Amino acid sequence: MSFDADLIIVGGGLSGLSAGITAVKEGLNVILLERGEYSGAKNVSGGRMYVHALLKLIPDALERAPLERPITKETFEFYCDNKKKLTISFEEKEKKNSYTVLRAKFDRWLASEAESLGLLISYSTLVLNVYRENGGITLETNRGVLKTPLVIDASGVTSIVFRSLGLRRFTPDKWMLGVKEIVKTDLNLPEDEGEVRTIVGLIKGVKGGGFVYTNKDTLSVGMAVTFDSLPKSEFPAKDLVEGFRERLGIEGEILEYSAHAIPYFGYKNLQQLYAENLIAVGDSAGFLINDGFTIRGMDLAIGSGIIAGLAAKKIIEMKDFTKTNIYYDMLKESFVLKHLELAYSRFELLNKAYVLNTYPEVLCNLLSDMFTVTEERKTLIDDALLRLKEKGISLSQALRDILSVAK
Amino acid sequence: MIPLLKRLGLNKYTVDQKPHIEVNTDICLTCKDKPCTVSCPAGTYEALPDGRIAVHYERCLECGGALVICPFNAIKFRFPEGGVSYNYG
Ligand SMILES: Cc1cc2nc3c(=O)[nH]c(=O)nc-3n(C[C@H](O)[C@H](O)[C@H](O)COP(=O)(O)OP(=O)(O)OC[C@H]3O[C@@H](n4cnc5c(N)ncnc54)[C@H](O)[C@@H]3O)c2cc1C
Ligand code: SF4
Repeated sequence: MSFDADLIIVGGGLSGLSAGITAVKEGLNVILLERGEYSGAKNVSGGRMYVHALLKLIPDALERAPLERPITKETFEFYCDNKKKLTISFEEKEKKNSYTVLRAKFDRWLASEAESLGLLISYSTLVLNVYRENGGITLETNRGVLKTPLVIDASGVTSIVFRSLGLRRFTPDKWMLGVKEIVKTDLNLPEDEGEVRTIVGLIKGVKGGGFVYTNKDTLSVGMAVTFDSLPKSEFPAKDLVEGFRERLGIEGEILEYSAHAIPYFGYKNLQQLYAENLIAVGDSAGFLINDGFTIRGMDLAIGSGIIAGLAAKKIIEMKDFTKTNIYYDMLKESFVLKHLELAYSRFELLNKAYVLNTYPEVLCNLLSDMFTVTEERKTLIDDALLRLKEKGISLSQALRDILSVAK
Repeated sequence: MIPLLKRLGLNKYTVDQKPHIEVNTDICLTCKDKPCTVSCPAGTYEALPDGRIAVHYERCLECGGALVICPFNAIKFRFPEGGVSYNYG
């Protein structure tokens, strides 16, 4: 049977483009299908990228890529109620470990890099259905049918290839909704400085948190919360980011309003990552770390894309398309699965319903007591035990939770 | 607060002739809480007085939430051919 390409990649976001760049460098005959008019047209992220994986793909990216600002300051804000807030800030000047990015610009640039290396990208091409046929995979698109022996599913969280083949099951507790606004602002910051604010507890009812990232001359303001907690939220999803931004007191011209689902599986709940003729990368594989401190999907998308491109070369050379486990073996040796596994204990902790609400409240009350001097004064430890007890949490439970963060 | 329609109006849309979201509103008749009306970031689903749902599919931000927000599988969702494009993302 004749195939249209050695390898077809579905999705031209970070994971698909990284796989495509790697595969063409390896000399493979590849087609990439992207439903957007250009790469980045459909992609949303909060916008903080850890650049280690990007630098592996394009070593001089820091000089050439359309990055916004390096992150030199981190701030965590925990709201207990409207009157009490705990803030932790950390600054490290000249740090070049992570940058803010805007995906419509960044992905478009990465796609042009890929095209100049010879990757064939077909835009406005929507994959509608996928099935197995004659030992290969057939992809039905709005522009016709394509056949290939090997597919990399880089279509993001909705994972069209694996889903069409019955290999995905989605539930509202395993997905987060990300909503975001871009706000025009005059930043009083030198070009080589940028800030990330992570905010928990400002909007009641939801499981998740919010963020404010500084771009060159805009702010990315948004929230990421589990879908199953949305019906309990103070605000309906359509007003979530508005309510959040107003409470933070951020003003300015709104330039864009976007939304995207975010996978929230965690290492131990990952869905199938490969099958005969198939490999999943990035969000399509569920590679996302949300440990309460950071959301990381972009470096995992690039990292898994690179590995998939290399694995594709090996599989195609062997001419045995049942051997996609090669990809998994390489993933296990990489930062992708190692970091996901390391983050799992914190992920589990955050998943407990009480953690995001109760602990900040206990901590705030404790600090409030500490800074209030009256004749009635308890020792800190007695006060802590009392405050925990009020919330029905035993000391041993609290210790277990604290230790799981340190893992 | 900026009204939803104004916010949605900031984006560029190419609206398909054929809806990319279909809702079996007979199922909606039996659904009390109507979680879709609060869980969609685009306000795509509107509860009607007769117990059914109106679907404003042209507002959709294509977040993908439609694949998980209905507990009774009343919503059929696929991505549109055109749809929304972002300038910033
Ligand atoms: C609000 C929000 C905040 C986030 N914050 C951060 C952050 O600060 N840092 C971080 O690292 N990560 C963050 N993430 C996660 C990060 O955005 C994702 O992990 C990352 O975009 C995954 O890249 P991907 O290439 O796998 O998928 P995507 O970027 O989703 O790309 C998938 C591509 O496939 C295309 N596609 C989909 N279906 C089809 C189809 N049927 N046919 C053809 N093409 C198709 C889409 O158009 C898209 O271009 C955030 C996510 C959100 C939503
Ligand atoms: S995909 Fe998202 S924006 Fe579109 S209708 Fe479904 S929930 Fe609303």
